[in-house]
Amino acid sequence: MHSHSVASDDSRATVEQYVKWIQVLRKRGHTVDGIVLTEHRQFDSQKDYSSLASQFDVLILKGSELDTRYGHFLVYGVTEALTKAIDFSDVRMDSRELMKAARQHDAIALPAHPGRFGIGLTDYIAQGETFEDVSIVERFNGGSRPGENERADELCISHGLLGIGGSDAHLTSHIATCMTDFNAVIKKESDLVDALLSNEFQPVWLADTLNGSSA
Amino acid sequence: MAMELEYDRSLYGVEHKAGPFEITDEIIDRANSSTGESGLAFTSDGGAQELGYKGRIAPPTLPCILVRQVSLPDVKVKFGKTQMHAGQRVEPKAPVYSGDQLTASSHLKDVYAKTGRSGTMVFVVWETTFTNQDGTVVAEVQESFAKRE
Repeated sequence: MHSHSVASDDSRATVEQYVKWIQVLRKRGHTVDGIVLTEHRQFDSQKDYSSLASQFDVLILKGSELDTRYGHFLVYGVTEALTKAIDFSDVRMDSRELMKAARQHDAIALPAHPGRFGIGLTDYIAQGETFEDVSIVERFNGGSRPGENERADELCISHGLLGIGGSDAHLTSHIATCMTDFNAVIKKESDLVDALLSNEFQPVWLADTLNGSSA
Repeated sequence: MAMELEYDRSLYGVEHKAGPFEITDEIIDRANSSTGESGLAFTSDGGAQELGYKGRIAPPTLPCILVRQVSLPDVKVKFGKTQMHAGQRVEPKAPVYSGDQLTASSHLKDVYAKTGRSGTMVFVVWETTFTNQDGTVVAEVQESFAKRE
């Protein structure tokens, strides 16, 4: 649900490397069905990973991770209309406006790594900001430092929020360190948005998938 | 309110030339020494020829050193007080041989802002293409500089 390829300025992993590493994870007995590429501050509608996806039997979806004045937000189901309504490169956009615009254009935006010290939603809430449209956050984040996922846990419990899991991979071997287990079958980006709106999902760590849980 | 970056946008599309840089055995020796490189292709003509090269080649990261000799104009980013070197990446395109004369051509690739644990930073990205005396592109180097609040 959260990964970066070389299209992001701070990643060194190619999409091909990710899907090959997933084959390794599968051989080790883990269940990994797909990935969502969430490149920083951009969305490339022209990028087509369908041949890689079919060659390696890995679902490859595209989203974005946007910088906002209230931390980073993951956006799923990005449409052309949304890219026209929102300047994806604006690092000071109001995430509340982003969330509203996303829903208006059939997408969904939710806070990434909310427990991250300094730029996580937890800190902004502590400063008195309110985010009425937030009902889902990234509860498990593979790039978190000690204590940050625990803060996300506390946020979910105290505010009654649902959580997803995302590896936040920037390196090949970091892909799928944590994931999201959906009840629904997901084949395309709009399925993912519907599945998030259904509230039927849970965050999982890679180790949790050894028994066949879908992710 | 969107963050409007102020800088000299007239630099886009302008190529800044530098060189020639003569690649000598001494330069290759120093580059090898700095990284502990001991591969045959980098240390002797004979070793390189055994591996299919026409002669001794420079380590592929040499253009990362040469690019520091390219003089680039001030982009005049109006943001922050501290500037630092943020990183380099090199894409080797063809072997660089001892005796080559390289020229560099640099252009401004991007200026963008990002946020993270350290706050907001603005990155200035330059792209430099190195070409040898035959007109063959031997390497492309991307170099970033960051300004922080």
